[in-house]
Amino acid sequence: MIRLGTASVRLGGAAVVDGVDLTVESGEWTMLIGRNGAGKTTLMRAVAGLVRYEGSITVEGREVRAVGSRERARTVAMVPQSPQLPADMTVGEYALLGRTPHLGFLGRPGHHDFVAAQDAVESLDLDALAGRRLDALSGGERQRAVLARALAQEAPVLLLDEPTAALDVGRQQEVLELVSSLRSQRNLTVLGAMHDLTLAGQYADRLVLLDSGRVVADGSPDEVLTEERINRHYAASVRVARLGGSPVVLPARHPSLRVPIEETSP
Amino acid sequence: MSTDLPSEEGLSARVRPAGPTSLRFDAEVLVVVRKAAQIAAVAAFISLSACGGTEADEPETQVTTREEFPVTVEAANGQVTVEHEPERIVSLSPTATETLFAIGAGDQVVAVDDRSDYPADAPRTSLSGFEPNVEAILDYRPDLVIISDESPSDLTQALDQLDVSVLAQPAAVDFNDAYEQFGELGAATGNAEEADELVADIRDRIDQLVEELPDGPEMTVFHELGPDLFTASSNTFIGQVYEHLGLANVADEAATQAGTDYPQVSAEYLLAADPDLVILADGECCGVTPEQASARPGWNALSAVRNDAVIVVGEDVASRWGPRVADFVEEVVDAVRAVRESG
Amino acid sequence: MTDVVHRAETRRIEQPSGTVRGDMPWPWFAGGLAGLVAAVLAGMTLGPAAIPASAVLADVASRLPLLDVGTQLSQIDATVLWELRAPRVVLGALVGATLAMAGGAYQAVFHNPLADPYLLGVAAGAGLGATVAIAYAGAGGGLLPVAAFAGAVLAVAAAYGIGRSVGTASRATLVLAGVAVAGFLSAIQTFVLQQNSEDVRAVYSWLLGRLSTSGWSDVVVVLPYVVVSAVTILAYRRVLDVLRVGDEEAESLGVAVNRVRLIVVAAATLGTAAVVAVTGLIGFVGILVPHAIRLLAGASYRIVLPLSALFGAAFLVLADVIARTVLSPAELPIGVVTACVGAPFFAVVLRTTTRGPS
Repeated sequence: MIRLGTASVRLGGAAVVDGVDLTVESGEWTMLIGRNGAGKTTLMRAVAGLVRYEGSITVEGREVRAVGSRERARTVAMVPQSPQLPADMTVGEYALLGRTPHLGFLGRPGHHDFVAAQDAVESLDLDALAGRRLDALSGGERQRAVLARALAQEAPVLLLDEPTAALDVGRQQEVLELVSSLRSQRNLTVLGAMHDLTLAGQYADRLVLLDSGRVVADGSPDEVLTEERINRHYAASVRVARLGGSPVVLPARHPSLRVPIEETSP
Repeated sequence: MSTDLPSEEGLSARVRPAGPTSLRFDAEVLVVVRKAAQIAAVAAFISLSACGGTEADEPETQVTTREEFPVTVEAANGQVTVEHEPERIVSLSPTATETLFAIGAGDQVVAVDDRSDYPADAPRTSLSGFEPNVEAILDYRPDLVIISDESPSDLTQALDQLDVSVLAQPAAVDFNDAYEQFGELGAATGNAEEADELVADIRDRIDQLVEELPDGPEMTVFHELGPDLFTASSNTFIGQVYEHLGLANVADEAATQAGTDYPQVSAEYLLAADPDLVILADGECCGVTPEQASARPGWNALSAVRNDAVIVVGEDVASRWGPRVADFVEEVVDAVRAVRESG
Repeated sequence: MTDVVHRAETRRIEQPSGTVRGDMPWPWFAGGLAGLVAAVLAGMTLGPAAIPASAVLADVASRLPLLDVGTQLSQIDATVLWELRAPRVVLGALVGATLAMAGGAYQAVFHNPLADPYLLGVAAGAGLGATVAIAYAGAGGGLLPVAAFAGAVLAVAAAYGIGRSVGTASRATLVLAGVAVAGFLSAIQTFVLQQNSEDVRAVYSWLLGRLSTSGWSDVVVVLPYVVVSAVTILAYRRVLDVLRVGDEEAESLGVAVNRVRLIVVAAATLGTAAVVAVTGLIGFVGILVPHAIRLLAGASYRIVLPLSALFGAAFLVLADVIARTVLSPAELPIGVVTACVGAPFFAVVLRTTTRGPS
């Protein structure tokens, strides 16, 4: 469980995250949405303990800044927006890196570590590629490799920063389906950030809309994804329709054009 | 004791008043001046030959070694003409400084470089012999500058332009070379006779030292220039000194292989050569003592260390080719004697 | 999309360079060891004092307790062997191993395959210390190694101090601070040298590095620092592998990146400063050996660091043999040999191992 109480992050004097109150219950999947610069990534980095914050952020009941980095890494696994994948490392070695917080200083990977890493690799459907170098993978495979590393950490909380960026629609769905099934298997608490509002609405339990570091909407995808809200907070021009029971956000080039949208039932 | 003999031209140019009516006046002045010059010259020659030289058989009226100026000296930088007897000599060579003072030209010297520490009363300045600064040199208004570098072209050019004579005396390659340099300095400063005497004295002294050397098998020597084992072969002045004393130089093979007269050898080479005598010429620059050298790795196996034949010589004396070379020869002779006598 | 239903088999995660345990490609290890042994043999049998190899081996055998072999060597030759060549070979191996490992360590914490142990100002600091000692205390003095060591350590400390005062002592900040410190100290060194131009030759020969005046006392002096440095760096090799994903991701994996960097840099600097103090600045070993190992044997630091030590030792002993036989009895500065031998070799390695975009 993640709880933020009046959490703020100041970078270079300005408040990038400004007094955020937010709770993500155990097992819940919450997506942060908002325009570029709204503070989504910074908020997640604060939860991961990578940046200083004011106020309170607790994960599994413990204040993030009061916990040592190893302990923190055993609780929170983060998949960053642009992961650095060393070219000359294999998928298997890379997944094994996820075991680092469990190994201790001079510790060497033990039986359980290998099992956990292997599990993660298999869960992400990568076992055929376990011996391949990271620079020989496609975009989708790479994203899965990073996920495998995060899973190998066996942390109850998973942070995903733009997990679908640079992926084609098929790989996007693949990744999100994987996360969805892993979440239920391992009872993970997932907090992510995404630009694709439709996909976010289809997979997340809850959406939280950030603007200028503040929470401006917090609720179910239906509640949060309204035209008025999106147009205002994204400075965009969209139409929101409902297809198959969940909201679909469509960029509308000429909003004045009233195009009838067919509603289908789930 | 130097007299300034102005040329007749010069004098008449100074006293000639302007105007056509001065012609007869000129003629009278000229006569007087000529007479005065002749008297002065004779007086000078008499006084000079009275105080110059210990050669008893030299008649007082005979002018044998003293030359009139201007004199042309054949030096390392070609033919150098010295117009007048120099009164303001600047020496940038410690060896030349020693020689100048030894041949009696000391009071003609106004400044010597920062490394000229002998004799102690030489007018030592902060002038650098390594990196001569033309302005600083000119500050002393020299009429003769002595350098030890062979071709400092910009220095020579600058000084030439101001009618300052420059005499180059690079490192001598053997005794004769050194003696020649004494002669050059003697001629250039008006002390040719003293220079010849100096050469004779030194020759005699060295010959005597060599004669007094006890007999024995040929000995080998290693001359250390620096703690990194740079040394000098027989093709150098120092090497010639050793050769003159009948010592074989262990550096010669290294010099041939390396193609330089100042080769660097390794400790291993030195051990293989095992010289009878080790001369350390780096005591002052680099703090090397016989004890310290003997403690170097591997040196405990050297015969010279076991026989106490590692000696330190005064660096100045060993690195110069001036009048004190006889002192250096004496130090080496003493060392050889000590080794031969101890068996 | 996949459901992992059962995991009855616990398959090891395989990696191309061998088994997972230890990760060491044993053929390479054996090769390195053989190279070192060959280099040591060459070092002991070659030199201006012509001692036949058989005599050398006989002498070695005569010193072993159980064999009953007499020695044929004269007193002088035995001294050459055991007081000159042997310590030189041992010191060469220690120096080569230390510089190569320190280079690998610096490459790891600075995430730059072209970093070398002189990155944060060690070379400039040691150079200044040595110049001051030579100019004011004489080149034969015992002050020289102490001054060089102090200079090296202080330079790195200054770089760290500056880096930290700016903020977080991140990689980029430290490197820049190192550049500033090195530039400043170099300028002072040039000035001191100008004031004492007669010492130029002595300083220059020190700067180029040499094993020529080494004896057992040098080995003894250097040994504790080298051991501490090596043990520390090797202990951190797994952590250095984690650093390959970058500072921030390593932090998110639970590694205290800044502290690790400080400790590893300190250990590498300690070893480097100690060997530099005794042998001068020997270049190329610290940058080329670990990088070549990385390209040839594998990029994991569990491979790179131990193999760098082994191959670095062999390389430097071999370079020393070349340095003292090529122009015998004069000696080439060993820094010249490492550059002339190392650089072309490295070009070959680069050409044969370029893989796709890295």
